[in-house]
Amino acid sequence: MEPAGRSEAMAEQPVRSGTARSGRAMLAEFGQRYGILAALVLVCVGLALSNEFFLTQRNMVNVLRQASINGILAIGMTFVILTRGIDLSVGSVVALAGVVSASFASTSATAAVSGAPYPTLLAVAMGLGTGILAGAVNGWLVARHKVPAFVVTLGMLSAARGLTLIYSGGRPVPGLSDGYRSLGTADLFGIPMPVILFAAVFLGAWFVLEATRFGRHVYAAGGNPHAARVSGIRVENVRMAVYVISGALAGLAGMILAARTGSALPQAGIAYELDAIAAVVIGGTSLAGGVGRVTGTLIGALLIAVVNNGLDLMGVESYYQQVIKGGLIVAAVMLDQARHRAD
Amino acid sequence: MRTLLRTLALATALACGTAAAADVPRIGAAVYGLNAEFMQIWAAALEDHPAVREGLVNVTIFDGRYNALVQQEQFETMITQGFDAIIFVPIDVEAGAAAVQAAHDAGIPVIGSNTRVNSDLLTSYVGSDDVQSGYLQARYVLDQIGCTGGVVILEGPIGQSAQIQRLEGNLKALAECPDVEIIAQQTANWSRAEAQTLMENWLTAHPGRIAGVIGQNDEMALGAIEAIRAAGQDVQDFAIAGIDGVTDALRAVKAGDMASILQDGAAQAQGALDLAMRAIQPDYQPMSAIWEQYPEMPWNDGADAEYNVPWTPVTEENVEALLALRQ
Repeated sequence: MEPAGRSEAMAEQPVRSGTARSGRAMLAEFGQRYGILAALVLVCVGLALSNEFFLTQRNMVNVLRQASINGILAIGMTFVILTRGIDLSVGSVVALAGVVSASFASTSATAAVSGAPYPTLLAVAMGLGTGILAGAVNGWLVARHKVPAFVVTLGMLSAARGLTLIYSGGRPVPGLSDGYRSLGTADLFGIPMPVILFAAVFLGAWFVLEATRFGRHVYAAGGNPHAARVSGIRVENVRMAVYVISGALAGLAGMILAARTGSALPQAGIAYELDAIAAVVIGGTSLAGGVGRVTGTLIGALLIAVVNNGLDLMGVESYYQQVIKGGLIVAAVMLDQARHRAD
Repeated sequence: MRTLLRTLALATALACGTAAAADVPRIGAAVYGLNAEFMQIWAAALEDHPAVREGLVNVTIFDGRYNALVQQEQFETMITQGFDAIIFVPIDVEAGAAAVQAAHDAGIPVIGSNTRVNSDLLTSYVGSDDVQSGYLQARYVLDQIGCTGGVVILEGPIGQSAQIQRLEGNLKALAECPDVEIIAQQTANWSRAEAQTLMENWLTAHPGRIAGVIGQNDEMALGAIEAIRAAGQDVQDFAIAGIDGVTDALRAVKAGDMASILQDGAAQAQGALDLAMRAIQPDYQPMSAIWEQYPEMPWNDGADAEYNVPWTPVTEENVEALLALRQ
């Protein structure tokens, strides 16, 4: 088939471009119809056939749990990327919210704020508040002062990590109360708490983006900010809000992580922003803004978790996993671009 | 925070009070990074050395921020400012030889501490033998499982000196138990969260076959413990060992969940400072209590090329006392 196509191409220029276009169109059609969901199903089928443990209930629960922290970050990232922004600070905010909230839930004399452990609800409020505050600073600088999001959140990546180390003295915050730890370790009818929180965040985000006025404004502000402004949408407020959402979800993710690992670690969350962006991009949300679905992000996060889990089960070195993940990201964007050309 | 403030205070003191402190030697400590608990303990011990407390020496700690180039530049700064001696904890064995060369050319003695550097220009080196710790921890796990069954190894970042040497020790012990199978062996990059995910997946892939967990540091062993709990299994059914003696691990030892071996960073720091003082003042006598604490590491007039701080296995007997030191 290949040689035939090549000889055609050599024989006659128009035929060649025609073949390429139909190939591209086929890829685009495939992408449009089945897209990343097909990739997820294919990978799952492949893993199920090659490893007897992959499809077990326990492993499925593991995959969902392992996807939940990145998934929650990626959902916040989806809001930001839809408005043509980026949030590079989520990994550091994970650590900052983790140590701040944990210090309110810790029974350790050295690491806790005085009077701790406080009720879990207060500790959670402190963690969410920390995330919201970091997000608000990001949003304020991006929306009101027109500093590029890349620069603002790169600065926050550094500043939040520094604040984490200052606040914790570089030491883990241990001795978390049972209530706080249940954020990461409890389960309901066999479903782990991180998965339940991930599902709740997903449903909430899906509802907001699909069914509310604010959701439509997010798409409009990202798709064509000028037109959105002309039609009366307060683009600055929308931008501000998406960074606050991303910050709050990073706060939530940080608390789940601390609850899972048993201590809030100042080194937690390093490079988590990259996996979150990867999940969003694999899920088909365009970095150019205005186009994308949170369902895509969900599938993207699941795909990353499934690939990592599957390669672990098969005993593949983690270094190969990184290479495979890199290939996946680029392939997803190529698929996405093919789809746009077809549109 | 306290360390940072102290360093700032010392730096300010150096800047403002050079006249007052003119005859007091200045020693710079270039450490690879201050983000993790182990180096915090190391730095705190350095500043708590009797010679520092009595004002016989000024110490400035430079945070290398896990970057070999940053460390190189800090060496250049210390050389320019005419420091009298440098204590060096490099980010890696291979990185830092050029920095040591530069200090040597400027006539400044360099004392190695904790991590080796591939240079023969060090005045002396104070550290702990990682091959030995790797052997000791694997030996503990193997004894617990009766030299039979399956083990997994959670490794440090592949290629780092501690990973290479601890693995060498692990494998030396495993060679003594030919019936023990290494079921899986992979890096979790010293990270608790990464080790947790890896262990969850291993428990799924090898149900009922893992009896022992060799974590090349405490953080990864702690991650494995959380993974075992999350899988609804009993931690007591596993023999788990880590290395370093970080505070969370001491607590886990106390709870009977794992074994750990304390790497005495405090002794590595204070020993290095005594050796640095000796390099500046030939008649200096060591002031740190560590030389009495470890009779198996004799001072030998500060003339040895290498000082080996012994490992301390953390046991139920000594864990309370070790935890009390962390308050």
